[in-house]
Amino acid sequence: MTGFLIKRLLSLIPVFLAVSLVIFMIVHLVPGDPIENLLQIGSSPEQREIVAASYGLDKPLLLQYLIWLQKAFRGDLGEAIILRQPVAALIAQNLPHSLILGVSALTFSTLVGVTAGALAAIFRDSWVDRAVMATILLGSTIPSFWLGLLMILLFAVQLGWFPVSGAKTWSALVLPILTIGIAGVALVARVTRVSMGDVARRDFVIMLHAKGLPAWRIQLRHVLRHALLPVLTILSLRIGWILGGAVTVEYVFARPGLGTLLITSLNQRDYPVVQGCLLMLAMAVMLGTLLGDVLQAAMDPRLRERMR
Amino acid sequence: MLSIAKRALLGISLFALTGGGAYAQEATFVHSVRDIGAPSYNIIKATKLNIATSLIYDRMVIQDTDQSFHPQLATSWASAPDGMSWTFKLRANVKFHDGEAFNAKTIEWWIPKFKGTENSYLIDAIEKVEIIDDLTVKLVMKNPDPNLLYNMASVFMGVPSPKAYEALGDKYGVAGAVGTGPFKLESFVVGQQTVLLRNDAYNTASPLSKNQGPAKIKKLTLREIPDESTAFLELKTGGVDMLLGVPTDFLPRLQAEKGMKVVTIPGTEVYYMPINASVEPFTDAKVREAAALAVNQKEILTSLFNGVGLEANNFLISSLLEAKIDPKLNISFNPERAKALLTEAGWTPGPNGVRTKDGKPLQVKLWTQNGTEFKRVTEVIQAQLKAVGVAADITVLDPATINAQYRKKTDHQLAVRAYSWDNADILDWFFSGKRLGYPNVSMWNDPKAEALNETAMKTSRTPEERVTNFRAYHEYIMSQFVFAPIYQPVTSFAYSEAKLSVPAVVRGPRLQSQTFLDIEMKK
Repeated sequence: MTGFLIKRLLSLIPVFLAVSLVIFMIVHLVPGDPIENLLQIGSSPEQREIVAASYGLDKPLLLQYLIWLQKAFRGDLGEAIILRQPVAALIAQNLPHSLILGVSALTFSTLVGVTAGALAAIFRDSWVDRAVMATILLGSTIPSFWLGLLMILLFAVQLGWFPVSGAKTWSALVLPILTIGIAGVALVARVTRVSMGDVARRDFVIMLHAKGLPAWRIQLRHVLRHALLPVLTILSLRIGWILGGAVTVEYVFARPGLGTLLITSLNQRDYPVVQGCLLMLAMAVMLGTLLGDVLQAAMDPRLRERMR
Repeated sequence: MLSIAKRALLGISLFALTGGGAYAQEATFVHSVRDIGAPSYNIIKATKLNIATSLIYDRMVIQDTDQSFHPQLATSWASAPDGMSWTFKLRANVKFHDGEAFNAKTIEWWIPKFKGTENSYLIDAIEKVEIIDDLTVKLVMKNPDPNLLYNMASVFMGVPSPKAYEALGDKYGVAGAVGTGPFKLESFVVGQQTVLLRNDAYNTASPLSKNQGPAKIKKLTLREIPDESTAFLELKTGGVDMLLGVPTDFLPRLQAEKGMKVVTIPGTEVYYMPINASVEPFTDAKVREAAALAVNQKEILTSLFNGVGLEANNFLISSLLEAKIDPKLNISFNPERAKALLTEAGWTPGPNGVRTKDGKPLQVKLWTQNGTEFKRVTEVIQAQLKAVGVAADITVLDPATINAQYRKKTDHQLAVRAYSWDNADILDWFFSGKRLGYPNVSMWNDPKAEALNETAMKTSRTPEERVTNFRAYHEYIMSQFVFAPIYQPVTSFAYSEAKLSVPAVVRGPRLQSQTFLDIEMKK
């Protein structure tokens, strides 16, 4: 297992370098720059050049990348040009909000999604299955910003149960969790349902039925357990998504978080912050995938063998 | 089981209701979208500030709605006849929030602090500060600057506490901000909210406020809500007490809400259509004039903005003296003249209503930026241009990208833009030959315009002379048809009448400390 882990970790290094290069180049090659937002009405073209030089933006792009990468390896993501704070500090300020929202939404979508998917699989082709699948289809097709506004209108304006927006109280977390979670429920439920269907057709399940075990016990103790492997893969891939995927929800509910920070910085072309946020998200995806692989390997010895 | 669920819901609801912990005289306002994302209250170095800045810091002088200047930290001021010095008498017994005294030494420290910052243009004309006595300073000028008082009244020239500024270093503006204003900064989270506490020792109210003592609100939270629908619903549900900015398309809905009051004040914004004079067919002045006269300002005002705001007929906001130009030079809708001019220029009516010249159709590029209002205005202008025989193809660009595209200089022909500024020097910013591409999107570079610009910007000695010189520059630009004026929006804010009492008249060019001092919580 240790050898497997080391091998997977080493394979992340070239991926990290490639991702960091792509992030840096995309951010810098998009037209527009942060100096535009720094200069006041009245500034001369010469002042523009001075300001650009003071942030090192006059250096060749590749050199700027190497300087950034070297600092990033030391944990220094640079100083925000517009926000004028260390990027690491800005990320540290916003990350907990994204984590709380993301982890809660992931937990919600896992619990509800697995339950709904299992119900649909157990009662396949019945009205339960059709009702669950129809709800799932609806949940996965409603855009999150619209769903968010609908939630606000129903639960905050009409019923007055939760605040409209903000992050001041725990109750303000409920509607954003539901908004993000519902899309996740759809995905998890669908994967659970399909996976349980596949497992149910395997020989060992047929044998369990032949042995006379109760159907509910076979479904819950044997089929569901085996069917959770692909669900786990989907969930590990969503770790990166839960950090950055809540952008629109953070926007609608006026919540702090990495998504809001990324969008604000992107609009202002605040290069260091955009690079720092994207790097964080890329790393979350990489580590999520690694975690998924490790969990799968832990649960399935055949996979460990193949990776040796 | 059901009762547990009920109790849980009740518990959550109660938590939600009491979560705000509101007590009397505590108010929550929402920043206008324009103010969102201000990164710091470091007033010397910041390039973007929000409304809270005017509540934390006082300025030397303060402006009224008619742009006139009134005392605040300075009780009186005078300029030497040659404009080469200004003397300011300072208010006595003024203390910063940290207990430090405000006096002539503060000014001597403060002015040079701007040097080397992006805001240095504010004090560029000042050579040095001389202390005459504890409460009198003389600003010795490098050259006359009749715009000095305007700069002094800008929120960027609020006066910070030297002690706090030096002590906090790079963290100043985020970790703390200390002024002499009616509110003290309690906490600030970039992009989220600013919490202000009343300065109970406040004694520097300007004559523009009825209330000459401390503010009526004890604690003021200013939230940043980027989505305007969410902000509206917060006001509707009582989550907040005032929206400091309301988009025009929300006005009818807010006006229809019971218990909400919407106030509109003259804005500082102008929508306009720059015409790139350096590319065909707009190198021909007649075609430029035709394009400018094709824009129907009245139709845009009534059909797109429900009549809220003003038609723009020249480049500056109506409240500026420099906007009062020879009426003949104002640009207004005149389709018949537009058509005649195009015919004179050789563009004759062709197939599908598009004019042609030498077999080439009169087809131009019309750029705009993302945003509902921009897109709507641009689509209407496209139709208005079509009505005189000009086919315009719209390209919508991301706001952060569009300026870089303008800098390519010849890619654009027409564009729909807007600016927000309340000083005539905006003419220099958008039409100076030194800034071709962007901000000079019109690519206007003409020796006479440059000479008039030089006179207005550098040789004016008194405010009156400055107005005359800028008016001449403005009139010349108008005569060249390098843009078409479109629309002047108003600034609107809305509040809960049940919770707040707001003065009927807003003093100052914007809703700032002058008016905030008179806002009261009802209960």
